[in-house]
Amino acid sequence: MSEQSREGRHENEKARFNPINNIMRMVSDPSFQKTAIWSTGSIILALVVVSVLMMMTGYNVGLAFLTLLWGAITQFDRVLFFATPLIFTGLSVALAFKCGLFNIGPEGQVYMGAIGAAIVGYLVSLPIVLHQFTALLFGTFLGFLYGLLPGILKAYRGTHEVVTTMMMSYSAILFTAWLVTYPLKDTTQALDRTPPILVTAELPKLIGSFLNFSLILAILAVIAVDYLINKTVLGYEMRAVGQNPDAAETAGINPKKNIALALGIAGALAGMGGSGEILGYHHLFQDNWSVGLGWDGITVAVLGNNNPWGVLAAAIFFGALRAGGLQMQRIAGVPLEMVRVIQGLIVLFVAAPRAIDWLSKRGVDYATWLKTDRVPASVHLATSFMAGASAIVCLSVFGSYSAMIEAGIPGVGGIVALLLFLTSLVSIYALIELLMRKPRGLRLVAFAAIVWLLVAALGYIAGSMLIVWQSLVIGMVSFLLVVLVERVFPETPLDLGGDN
Amino acid sequence: MQTGDPMLELMGWLLKATLQMATPLVLTALGGMFSERTGVVNIGLEGMMLVGAFSAVAGTYYVGSPWLGLIIAVIAGGALAGAHAIVCVKFKGNHIVSGTGIILFGLGSTTLGLQVVWGKQGLSDSVERIPEVVIPQLRDVPMLGTAFGSLSPIIYFMFIITALSWYVLYRTPFGLRMRAAGEDPSTLDAAGVSVEWTRIVGVVLSGALAGLGGAYLSIGFENAFGKGMTAGKGFIALAALIFGNWTPIGCFLAGLFFGFVTGLQFIFPILIPELVTLTNLVKILPYALVIVALAGIRRSIPPKGIAVPYEKEVRV
Repeated sequence: MSEQSREGRHENEKARFNPINNIMRMVSDPSFQKTAIWSTGSIILALVVVSVLMMMTGYNVGLAFLTLLWGAITQFDRVLFFATPLIFTGLSVALAFKCGLFNIGPEGQVYMGAIGAAIVGYLVSLPIVLHQFTALLFGTFLGFLYGLLPGILKAYRGTHEVVTTMMMSYSAILFTAWLVTYPLKDTTQALDRTPPILVTAELPKLIGSFLNFSLILAILAVIAVDYLINKTVLGYEMRAVGQNPDAAETAGINPKKNIALALGIAGALAGMGGSGEILGYHHLFQDNWSVGLGWDGITVAVLGNNNPWGVLAAAIFFGALRAGGLQMQRIAGVPLEMVRVIQGLIVLFVAAPRAIDWLSKRGVDYATWLKTDRVPASVHLATSFMAGASAIVCLSVFGSYSAMIEAGIPGVGGIVALLLFLTSLVSIYALIELLMRKPRGLRLVAFAAIVWLLVAALGYIAGSMLIVWQSLVIGMVSFLLVVLVERVFPETPLDLGGDN
Repeated sequence: MQTGDPMLELMGWLLKATLQMATPLVLTALGGMFSERTGVVNIGLEGMMLVGAFSAVAGTYYVGSPWLGLIIAVIAGGALAGAHAIVCVKFKGNHIVSGTGIILFGLGSTTLGLQVVWGKQGLSDSVERIPEVVIPQLRDVPMLGTAFGSLSPIIYFMFIITALSWYVLYRTPFGLRMRAAGEDPSTLDAAGVSVEWTRIVGVVLSGALAGLGGAYLSIGFENAFGKGMTAGKGFIALAALIFGNWTPIGCFLAGLFFGFVTGLQFIFPILIPELVTLTNLVKILPYALVIVALAGIRRSIPPKGIAVPYEKEVRV
């Protein structure tokens, strides 16, 4: 948080807590805009990498993204339904992060909350409203305890919370699996699960058969966490401990209490998410019912920059990704796991905001160059594009090419596959060097061109005209561009010294 | 089986189970040590193990030789760690967030790979395992025969790599540089050694070792890849690293201890058959004991420069 925005907050301290105002102030903050650019850039980069992955594994990229988008737009109720638990787990991770803690095991807290809600839901008989409230409260409480334990260990024993929360997450999954296989098992069913909860405990549906009341709870939780972090003494203390525990202690804040409490509240949020899922949709606890809600929560918090409203937006984005992903699996045949790969890449790119900065700086660099020297700049840009395209084509065809060549000339296929794979790496490196306008990039592109011509020759011997044409075109165009840059525009301002 | 004292026999089994369970932990913990001693937190070990385990099976499946599969696994783990290194060292990103990205990518890509390569959801086809080293002379010795008679060569590698890690870290110039990169990077920089490259090598080494640990699971211990088969072993290795105080010998001993605890869960049902209904509870034991062990130790001291990106002009 920049110095300026902190002062801004100070001025507004007397103003009433108002979520709308809060959002408006956040959006107009330049640091927020920067974060937004980083997040969007990360999403775009991740999608680019994933499309290369899809090409490598032989899926139809266009159809996949089209169905993904279509599925996300047309099923808005499902999007929000999938987003609901992610809001809770995302808030859980985000809140702990504000206190400098990394709650990596919301999955276990979700399971504890869910089993708690299920137990109260089917074992206790209570009137409507009171029943839902009690079940939800018990699940949340179990989640709180499950988060408090690693919190206490962290605060008083210095035990690394990344390890303990993860270990407790695995324990919770195994423990609940045991509960539903033996003591709590619905003996009338073959599957390992509890009996269904009573009707009095079910949360009401909002629209359709998916969206339920827990969405409203989730949005209330966003407002509550925003209030807790920004407008209460506890939140202030937590942030202080998160930024510098020693300084906080000097200022009279008890870091131990805050650390334990922060993880406890984080656990409670995840537990409430789990309870909401059971009471609102599943209506019983089945072994392994959650499909990695905890992991998704980490992604959501990271993408939402640990800001409650950012978490809300990121959760809706991932809900859309999941709803669209199901459609993609059904129509384009791309496994849903592709969504998880996208998530992993997004987190990886969000971790490196400087990569995005670097790329945008290169973009601006090219734009100014294009304005001053149109022709040399566009030829150089084309060469960079060619390096990128060569890398992508290499990755997407090296399997099929080597198989075709192996069929024509036995024994060479493996070498061709390896050669093409290495060429893709060389091309990626060439692209980076070219973007920095270093002369080495040109030499690497020329090398890649030679490999392509070699592959074309091998394709000719193996008798595959498809390989010959494709390789020849890529090889010749790359070569031509390199010659143009090297010989026709030798005075190109190379090497701007833009390292970093 | 031999007709020996059943108690000795059981001890032998426990010893073997300990070694088998400890090998992936020790290898991965040593990997984590190389990364963290150079100053880069690596919680992505779990993802690197998964990718290693998967590419070992996929490599064996395509190439036909488990030894080549092993090499492919090491390269794949190293490559994934390379991505972590670039994000953390080159772009100075948040180490823990990047590590989480690595784990997510590992989980997703290996499950995806199962469907792409074999068209299956949970378990891959079986492939050839790395042949075990059989010592015929030991076969008939009561306890030792059961324990050491037939072991995967990777278990022997584990001992060698532990010794080698100690040697590299404490007795070579490169090891000194790695330790300096983690403790006091500005000194290393002043000595004219690139902090960035030292760290990148450390992280890539960690991925290679984690890949080897994962490969042991899939083609040394088992003969197929299962979805999420590491089941938190990367995190247990991380705990072993902390428990072992970031030293090679410490990692080795801590890995053996956690391996022993994990091995116990196979012994309990043999000792007490009534425990069958509690199988899932017994499986919690290693996770719970990891927490207890970590909570029980004195505060361990991580390298000073850990998780602090090194900026040339900035004085730390």
